[in-house]
This record gives sequence, structure tokens and C-alpha cells, in this order.
Amino acid sequence: MEGEVSMNKKQFAVIGLGTFGYNVAVELVKKDIQVLAIDNDNEIVNRISPFVTQALIADATDEKAMEDAGIADCDSVIISIGENIETSILTTLIVKELGVKNVIVKSSSHWHSKVAVKLGASTVVYPELEMARKYADSILTPNILEQIELSKDYNLVEVVAPKEIWGKTIKNSDIRNKYGINIIAIRKQIPVINDDGQSDIKKEINMLPGSDDEINQNDVLIVVGSQQALSKFKDNL
Amino acid sequence: MNNKNISSNKNSNEADYIELGKFYFLNDKYDEAVSEFKKVLKINPSNAEAYYNIGLIKETANLLEEAKEMYSKALDINPDYKIARGRLNKLIGIRY
Repeated sequence: MEGEVSMNKKQFAVIGLGTFGYNVAVELVKKDIQVLAIDNDNEIVNRISPFVTQALIADATDEKAMEDAGIADCDSVIISIGENIETSILTTLIVKELGVKNVIVKSSSHWHSKVAVKLGASTVVYPELEMARKYADSILTPNILEQIELSKDYNLVEVVAPKEIWGKTIKNSDIRNKYGINIIAIRKQIPVINDDGQSDIKKEINMLPGSDDEINQNDVLIVVGSQQALSKFKDNL
Repeated sequence: MNNKNISSNKNSNEADYIELGKFYFLNDKYDEAVSEFKKVLKINPSNAEAYYNIGLIKETANLLEEAKEMYSKALDINPDYKIARGRLNKLIGIRY
């Protein structure tokens, strides 16, 4: 084990250090979270050890080992053993029984997700499915740069400003009445010359733009709306 | 004019077109900027800076696939082109 545990910082445990778990652990540390990283593979644990608060070789299905590792003291536990459903389910059960409230499970199938929820997982993530959906959308509508599901019915979408509203103010674009969606930010890409004399692009975001703010060519709009309204808008892109 | 002078003129033209292209780019005149960078590539098809700058213009116009292609061409010519590598990595989704 390496590093020191501070009482003030949030403590997370990441169990299963495949590509997803490894990167989640490292990113959390960058955000000043204390991370206990666990895997039964000696090599992976040694590899992540310099980047996390503590790294431990352990069998996640061994209740005693999990208790000794201090899992019960963690604010959140991320179980990313997606490829082995049985181990993932057993680990979820053990972690829940140790009293951890926030348990996030990386799922590898619909049934895996259902079982994890039944066992008390607070969040189930299915990165492959989410990426597949996003990728399919981006192939079909290249003007959609990003799409985030806010709820079952509402999405947030990053979209290249359609030509029909270039040079118009938000009010004059009539986007709200016509499609029932709201522009919550406008991102502009500004050409600049950097300190080395090389040309570059600087991104500027106008958060909560006013009704008199103008939409220009190359702007990216961040819009929020119901799935139905956004579909109507996307069909016109 | 000897060979040395021809080569020097060629380099000077390339540099002039690059500077003019950058000037147009900074002033949001993207079509004119692309035209200048293409003049550079006509003189010297191995000018990585011209490809990089066309990539920037494509990215500004949200033509991300075309931008990636241009950055890749710049990097094929000059694999140590740090700023082009950074922009391509961002578009591909690699952060480090």
C-alpha cells in the first residue's frame, strides 16, 4: 500500500483495474479524491500504485479481505469487473453488506445491470452501450458533436449552428417556438496566434446567452430539450 | 539566377504565403486562408505547417473528419509537430 489517507477528502475504492477501472481511478485522483485501487492481478496493481492513494492486491469476493481493506469506510465504491459477471455480482453483494451507500457498477449486459440494481447498486454504467449509441448518432448526424442524457425524456446536445440561423439573434432565430428547445450556451472557436507564433484555436463559451446574442457561422450551440423536440430539430440539420 | 537563389525564393514565397494565410485566418477569412495554404503546398507538398493550418480552419468550421485528416498529414511529414499532435489527439479523444 502507498500514500497517506486524509480524513477530510472523499474516499473512493475502485475494484477491478481493467481499462475502465484503471482510468476512473487515475482520473479521480486528479480531482483530489482519495482512491483505494484493488485488483487480484499483481502486475496491474504495481502499475497503478504510483498514481493512486493506495493500491492493494486482493480477491474482491473474499469478504474478510474487503473488510480489512477498509471498504466500509469509503464514500463510494466503483465495481468495474464487467467481464466476469459472477465476480461482479458477488463483489456488489459484499460491498453492500459492508454498508457502503454509493455503489457504482460497471455492467456488461442488460441482465448484469438488473441484478446489480436488485442488489442495491446506486448507479449502473454500461460504457460500451453508451458509446455505441453515441457513435451511431454521430455517424448519422455529423453535426451533433455531443449528446448527454439528462433524464429519460430530456437530453443536452452540442450541435453545429444550422445555416438558416447564422447572423440571427436567438430571439430572431425563433428556435424556442419552432422546435421547443432552449439554447443554454454558445461556443465560439476563435482563431489566435499563440506565444510561439503558431496559429491555434481558442474556445470561448457564452453561458446563458441573452435573447439578443447573435448566432454565427461555425458556432456550436449547447441546447436542452425533450427527445421529441430535439429529434425534430435534428431532422432539420 | 542560380540554384541557390531559386531555392531561397521558393522558401521565401512559402513563408510569405503562410504568413498571409495566418493573417486571413485570424481575420475569419477562411476561404482566402485555405487558398494561401494551398499555394504553399503547390510549391512544397511536404510543408507540414500548411497542412496544420488547413486543419485548424477545418476544425474551426466543425469539419472534424477533414481536420483530423489534415493534422495527420502534417504529422506524417513531421512526427514531432507538437501542436498538431495535441489538436489531433483532442479530436480523436486521446487526452494524454
